[in-house]
Order: sequence, then C-alpha cells, then structure tokens
Amino acid sequence: MYCKFARAVLPAFLVLCAASHTARSDWTVATATALSHDDNVGNAQSNTNKVSDYSASATVSMLQLIPIGEGYSLAAGGDLSGQVYDTLSGLRNASIDGLLSLKKKWGLGAFATWTRAGISVGRTDYQQGYRDATIYRASLELGKRIDERWNLWAKYAFERSAATPSGVEIYGLSSDAFSQEGRSFTANARYSLSERFSISLGSLLRHGDVLSTTQSLGYYIFADSKAVAPDPAFGPGAYAYRLNATTYSVRLVAEYSLSAHSLIGCGFQRSETHAQGGNNYSDSMPQLTWNYQF
Amino acid sequence: MVKQFIGAIGLMLLGAALVQGAEMRVLVKDYKGKLVADAVILAVPVDPRSALHARPPTDAMDQVDKQFVPYVKPIFVGSTVRFPNSDNIRHQVYSFSPAKKFELPLYAGTGAPPVVFDKPGVVVLGCNIHDWMIGYIYVSETPFFTKTGPLGTAVITDMPAGEYTVRLWHPSMDHAEETTNQRVTLSADAPASAEWQIGLKPSIRVPRVSGAVSPSYP
Repeated sequence: MYCKFARAVLPAFLVLCAASHTARSDWTVATATALSHDDNVGNAQSNTNKVSDYSASATVSMLQLIPIGEGYSLAAGGDLSGQVYDTLSGLRNASIDGLLSLKKKWGLGAFATWTRAGISVGRTDYQQGYRDATIYRASLELGKRIDERWNLWAKYAFERSAATPSGVEIYGLSSDAFSQEGRSFTANARYSLSERFSISLGSLLRHGDVLSTTQSLGYYIFADSKAVAPDPAFGPGAYAYRLNATTYSVRLVAEYSLSAHSLIGCGFQRSETHAQGGNNYSDSMPQLTWNYQF
Repeated sequence: MVKQFIGAIGLMLLGAALVQGAEMRVLVKDYKGKLVADAVILAVPVDPRSALHARPPTDAMDQVDKQFVPYVKPIFVGSTVRFPNSDNIRHQVYSFSPAKKFELPLYAGTGAPPVVFDKPGVVVLGCNIHDWMIGYIYVSETPFFTKTGPLGTAVITDMPAGEYTVRLWHPSMDHAEETTNQRVTLSADAPASAEWQIGLKPSIRVPRVSGAVSPSYP
C-alpha cells in the first residue's frame, strides 16, 4: 500500500512542480525536514510501557498565491511528506495534502493584522495499512506582526481523520480506533534576537480523541475507551485504543537563518495529555529542523 | 567670420571643461573596518547656484525574485520613478514614509503608473503581498549624489568646482545623517576624497522563509 501510494502520487507531484515554472503565477515551493526523538510514541501511561524512537521526516510544499485585491488573497496548494522511524518500521508513512485558504489583511503593509480561513484534505498511508486514514482539517487564524522583531499569531483548528475499521470487535467495542476527531487552539510568538537568530514559543490546547497503545488489554481500557484495535506496528500483541482527552503542549524553537531562503532550528516540545478515566500521558520531543523556501 | 568661428570654438571648449567638472571619491567603512555598500553620499554645494540647472531624470526601481532591485536607490528631488515588475507575478508596492506616501495597485510587468518624488527624504518601500520585500529610495535635495558599491567606494563626477557640504545616509546607520557632515573643496584639476566610518545597527527584517513554528505562507 505504502509503495503503491508513492508510485501514484510522486509523478503527479513532479508534473505539478514542472508546471509551476511555466505558469505565470506566484508559486512558493518550500521544503521542511526534521529529525526527532519521541520518548512516548504510543502514548503509554507507565514508564515501563513507553516506547521511544527516532524519526526523520521531509515535506515538500507548493502553494499558489492568488491576490484578489482589497487585502484578500487565496492560497491553494499541497504538501507531500514522508516520515520514517528508526525501529517502529510499521509507522513509516507518506502523506499528501491539498489545501485552500482565504486570507484578509486588515490594512496595508507587513504590520497589518491578518485573518485566514483554511480547509485541507489529506491522505496518510502507513507501511502497515491498517492505520491509513483520510484527514480533513478546517482552521481559522489571526495574526499580527508587532514590529520587525515580534510576530504573534493564533490558530483554531478542527481535525477529523477517517480510517477503515478492522472489523474485528473486541468485547463489543468498536474496532474503529484509528479514526479520530479533535479541536485545537494554538498561540505562537516569534522573536528575532538578531539579524539571523530567532526564538519561537508555541502553546497548544487540544480536546478530542487520542490514541494510546498498550501491550496488555486491561479492564480499564474497556471501561474508558471508545474503540480498540490490534496495533502490530508496536509488536504482535499490541492494541491501540481511542480515548477522549485534553492535551496541553508547549514548544520552544531556536532558529538560525543560513540565508534569506534557509533556516536551521533546534526545538523541544513537551506535551501532557489527560484522558478520561484518569489516564495521563506525557511526551517529550527534541527536534532538529531545516526549512528551505525557494 | 574667422573671429566668430574661433570664438565659437573657444566657447565650446569652455563648455566642455565645465561639463567635465570636478570629481569626488568616497570610501565608507563601519567601525570594524568592514566596507559598507548601499551608503548614499550627498554633496550639497555651499553656493546653491551650482545646482540651478539640474533636471530631475526618470528613474526605475525594479522587482526581481520578490526583492526590490536595487535595495537602495538615490534620486534627485522631482524625479519620476517607474516601478517595473520583472517577476512573473503581481506585486503591490506602497510606502508610508512622510517624504512620499503612495500605493500602487496590484500589477504585473510595467503596468504601474510612475510616481513623482517631490519632497526630499527617505522613502521606505514595501510590497503588500510579500511582506519581506523592503527597499529604500533616498530623495536627494542636491543633484550631486551617489551610492557606494560592494567595495564601499563611489565617485561623484561632473561637479562644478567649489565648496560642498558632504554627508551620507545608510538604512542601518545608528546615528543621524547630519552627524556625518564634512566640508570638501573641489577643484577641476584634482579629485577630492572623503572617508567615513559609521556605526551600523542590526538589520532585522521580516523573514522570507517560514520556520518550524511559523504561520504557513503566505
């Protein structure tokens, strides 16, 4: 499934890339790569059940900007991304997203307040296909650059991922564990310390479904979860279960500008998830990033 | 007849000598000794009659690869500036500067109306579509000006001999341009020179590339 997906999508994406150079249009092509370490990939509660792993990801984005006057601009485009894990090979995945947004600048210039509404539809295919899902997102953003140093913005987003249930119900619980829904609010600030060096602080509050993977199906899982399904990416006896939860997350990133087009960064993200039934998960993720915008 | 001819030749030679004029060479460094490009040098004649016959030309500020080209452009007051767009996209050029407030509509190619800069001062340019784009037009009250190149040097030619007050301006200069005033006397037979060491503050600009935690472009 994973290879079939890549074979189908890559030629289409390359055609799109080639077309961007011939069309008279404002295309932005950007790449983002990251090397991360996640100390709790499967959202386990106890330290003994936590599974940590390294992952590398790469994304190519293409957006066409269409200014339509009076401060309005449309953006349409897509992302193609891939992620590989060091040991959890079943979680290797490839994604394609298409997105459309409408932005309004409430004034003229770089320091005008702006708002944006966006929708996107994406498909993520995993090496082990039972996690494959179609993802729908809708978002509202508000931002303002205070001056050359300070940039502030916030985002409210709704996300729904629709996976195909395994069909094997366990003790009457739904097997649709990999379909999830959630709403999130993020607030971000970026500060330029010098011509090349900047720091960014982002915070997230998310409420909705979370997925946790366990090696043993206990009673509390059936009491609290909405769905359960086998999750062999974490081992032959692993099960994933879906819970309702609230996640708080903070991310700090320091970035250095190599050129006008390129940034390298070093970040750290800490998340705390409080799920129903007193299930709490914590997660730390240091990350190295490289972003290039053509 | 012969006398008239000789007189005409003499007048032509005198005119040529006046047109050739004097020359001033400048060098600009920062306090670390690094050569400073994009510094605008202005030579104001002490005798204002020296600049009486100057005519403001038509000039241009281009947009290439979503940047203003050149980054800094000195012009004479009264000049008309066109804003050709060499990118294959649309730009929307504007300025909030007191020396010239204007806003061009969204345009591609050479479709934008020219702008007359009729007041001396610094005009900061931006593009409402691409926030990182920034450029400077320095509207000079004197016709004798130039801009330093990558080696921090520049030459002003065809200046009438005489006394001048010379000063400089740079987008990142950390002090007022009046503090850079120098008095220079020019003669037609030998070039004069002026040199500055200036302090530059960090040039913090709106970044072009989105970072790991950034609102996605645009």
